[in-house]
Amino acid sequence: MSVYSFYIFDRHTECIYSKRFTAANNTQSSRGSTLQNGDVPASLRKASKDLDETKLIFGTIFSLRRMAKQLGGADDQFLSYRTGEYKLHYFETPTQLKFVMLTDPRVGNMRTVLHQIWATLFVEYVVKSPLAPAEHTGGKGVANELFEGGLERFMVSMGLLPR
Amino acid sequence: MASSKAARMGEEVWKTRTEKINLEVLTLTYGTLVSQLTHDLRDPATNIPDYAAINTELDRMGHSIGLRLIEDFLAKTSSAGPAPCNNFRETAEMIAKVGFKIFLNVTPRVENWDKEGRSFGLVFEEMPVSEFVELPDDGRAQEELWFLNLFCGVVKGALEMVQMQVKAEWVSDVLRGDDTTEMRVTLIRYIEDEMPPDDE
Repeated sequence: MSVYSFYIFDRHTECIYSKRFTAANNTQSSRGSTLQNGDVPASLRKASKDLDETKLIFGTIFSLRRMAKQLGGADDQFLSYRTGEYKLHYFETPTQLKFVMLTDPRVGNMRTVLHQIWATLFVEYVVKSPLAPAEHTGGKGVANELFEGGLERFMVSMGLLPR
Repeated sequence: MASSKAARMGEEVWKTRTEKINLEVLTLTYGTLVSQLTHDLRDPATNIPDYAAINTELDRMGHSIGLRLIEDFLAKTSSAGPAPCNNFRETAEMIAKVGFKIFLNVTPRVENWDKEGRSFGLVFEEMPVSEFVELPDDGRAQEELWFLNLFCGVVKGALEMVQMQVKAEWVSDVLRGDDTTEMRVTLIRYIEDEMPPDDE
């Protein structure tokens, strides 16, 4: 199991947090037949600028969630999609915070994991921090040591990152 | 049916997942806050507290609190079954029976719906933060100051985050000598999803 990257978008469609886990277990690279040159799929690595990539991801989930609602009714939500190279997991809170995680395509359902990241890490460390602004506008994003550290520890404990 | 479910949920979250503090600490802190505002916000010419400005300031503070509090509220309630509200009536039940329950341990009654179902009153039998409070006896505070105005801001801020723009205001307060303490919440509109800015 490995995670490629993780993003949070706020209700103003702004990317407030992004992290790439590129150094993750190189040992696996030989196993995945489609993956060469380390763990990150070529399609992801080629996206030269983070900014373009986050925009692309937001555009994708924006369209997909709308499509899911149109086809499956207002209560329907899209959960994930999978390509040959990666799997995108999606979780949205009622406050329209959007959590996106890109992982290895073999990974199972990550909804509970994303829910936990929100409920136990984001809410505790970011929302309740008196120093954090209520809205992360202007691309400053969440720069919060406790959150970063907590996220890392959590991922390791879930076996998503190497120790 | 839905209302008793909300009540049970509120009870459970309050019992198991809420950190409690001494009520008097909260009451006195809130009282101090309002009292400090009456010192800070005075009409420079007459040196009389500007109660309209105090109401606005309390509302603004509450709004900022609400923006964050909703996140905590959702995190606490969501694993107990986070069905989003289907209509404004359910929203009202959730605010009264879960929201106020888990953060203040009071359960206001939801009453006085208007015909279209877009506006309701929250009637508070008891209001812990109003304990020990006497409004200033200057003949104006009784008419102009809404001591609890912070809570209107909280409701507004919290609902704004879940795509509802509402108007919230007190219509009566026992502190002013009224028979009841009632907050009126009116739905203005549902906020649409924001679109990403155009690239080109």
